Amino acid sequence: MPGINEFTENILDSLSEGVITVDKNFKINYYNRAAETITGLSRHEAIGKFCKYVLNSDACTARCPIAAVLRRGASMFDFNAVVSHANGMRIPVKMNASVLTNPDGEPIGGTLTFRDMSAIEYIQEQLVHDSQFHGLVAHSKSMRDIFSLIEEISDSPASVLIQGESGTGKEMIANAIQATSSRKTMPYIKVNCAIFPAQLLASELFGHVKGAFTGAMRDRQGRFELADKGTILLDEVAEMTLEMQLHLLRILQEGTFERVGESLTRRVNVRVIASTNKNIQKAITRKEFREDLFYRLNVIPIHVPPLRERKEDIPHLVRHFMHKYSLIYNRNIEDIEDGALDACLNYNWPGNVRELENNIEYAFARTKEESVIRANKLPPHLRGNALQPDTPPDDAAPAAPLSAEARELAKQLQQHHWNRCETARALGIGRTTLWRRMKTLGLEK
Amino acid sequence: MHSEPLSEMLGNQYFMARNYAAAAVQLQGALEKHPTSKAIRRRLIVCHTQTGMIQKAFSLFRSLVKEDVDFIINTDPVDDDCPCQELVREGECLSPTAETSVDFYIKMGMLWLFCDLQRAVECFARAAAASPGDQAVLEISQLLTKRLKASYSSKITNH
Repeated sequence: MPGINEFTENILDSLSEGVITVDKNFKINYYNRAAETITGLSRHEAIGKFCKYVLNSDACTARCPIAAVLRRGASMFDFNAVVSHANGMRIPVKMNASVLTNPDGEPIGGTLTFRDMSAIEYIQEQLVHDSQFHGLVAHSKSMRDIFSLIEEISDSPASVLIQGESGTGKEMIANAIQATSSRKTMPYIKVNCAIFPAQLLASELFGHVKGAFTGAMRDRQGRFELADKGTILLDEVAEMTLEMQLHLLRILQEGTFERVGESLTRRVNVRVIASTNKNIQKAITRKEFREDLFYRLNVIPIHVPPLRERKEDIPHLVRHFMHKYSLIYNRNIEDIEDGALDACLNYNWPGNVRELENNIEYAFARTKEESVIRANKLPPHLRGNALQPDTPPDDAAPAAPLSAEARELAKQLQQHHWNRCETARALGIGRTTLWRRMKTLGLEK
Repeated sequence: MHSEPLSEMLGNQYFMARNYAAAAVQLQGALEKHPTSKAIRRRLIVCHTQTGMIQKAFSLFRSLVKEDVDFIINTDPVDDDCPCQELVREGECLSPTAETSVDFYIKMGMLWLFCDLQRAVECFARAAAASPGDQAVLEISQLLTKRLKASYSSKITNH
């Protein structure tokens, strides 16, 4: 690469991300050590060649990220692609791309950085395989009803409004809607409406033309244009200003909009999924959210219940997150102590599934020698909810008379000192099934 | 209609992707900024032949041949990402109709010059024969014939 010194080269070689620069003809003129590792080609083999012959990626030619940057005028981040290793293996990568310009602003080259996602993809595949529905883990009726609804609406382009507390998995529900829809192969763009000030959000959603505002150096496509023929997820939609809500209403009604600073009307075909953790009815009453927009968005309403209302999902989620972190940390922790699981079941989870995941990761990080997560490794606020493993079984006896089935199960539990693992093993059933049966029969401690 | 910012680099990418129509728009814009660039003209010639703009291509071709014929002759299919070997193979499969024969031979002559001087000379000789009054075609035909003879002479001398 012209002008690179030894110091900079050492820095670039120390990165775990592959770094490639190309000239204006797309010939490689810099190739760092990580790029050599990921592609299996030495820099001597790569430099001077066209990047399309070196990376041999599905993103070359029609989906070239540098070309996309040249068109959009903004760098690209986390672009999914697959590159070829010299041994013929296909390596999934996430790419970032930017353009290098001369002092006149003329493009003279580009930079591609990419990181190997093979391990992450393997983990994701494993987790999706374990999950019940497109990465979602749930057995409760309320969640299974949502899965059924998502399958029923797969052919519909209608707007969806997902409501639910923070951490309930609204984005994962949106991903599942997109993945099952007829638009699944088309662009899927996500925008968090809360992080942009009003003026910037307009530019982000609808694009702008050069000179529309200070810093608008060139024309830029907005997210709606990028999502044309596909799907857009408007996360935290209730945070939009009333003015922005009006623009959104128009695009929902007519499919038309103008870029900021332009009078030319453009048309797009985008399926809108919106989500919010706000009580939108209250927001309407307080005149913070337009009622007409609510009805436009709420064609297919989905309410994701909080975790405290579907506690039967907790054991499955715990197991799922244990598997996830076993893969991520490359550790063999496969079990959770009954007392620890009880602590999870007895807690209210105001932060919902996200909080549960964080707590499992916390316990995972603290479990060093054992293959079981113990209650004393959980965060302090959870430990107070844990039942002692040595608690006498009589304490748990329900006040109401037990059914024959319940008496039989209680007997089995008593024989195994209320140790669920041993009882489940003796009965030849899974521990989750045992827990569910205990709950149904009123034997839950 | 979405208008893209014009740049030679974007033109080069479209050319690599064999999207000749989009490449032509970008490279035409770049040529206005850099009218003497031989690299831009060389790629534009190929783009125009593939988008049916044979006379536009020929005009650029003439200027480049007169200026530096070897710049085209020495084009490397890999190093310069030149698609002409495939394009002439595709072109050879077509037979010219009476109306388009001159344009066909001009197009093939231009593309052949990127791969094989002798075949280019043959095509321009046919184009000149099909259009006797066309001075521009005749001029290129003669120029390339002269260049071919020169290459034979240098081969004999070297031998």
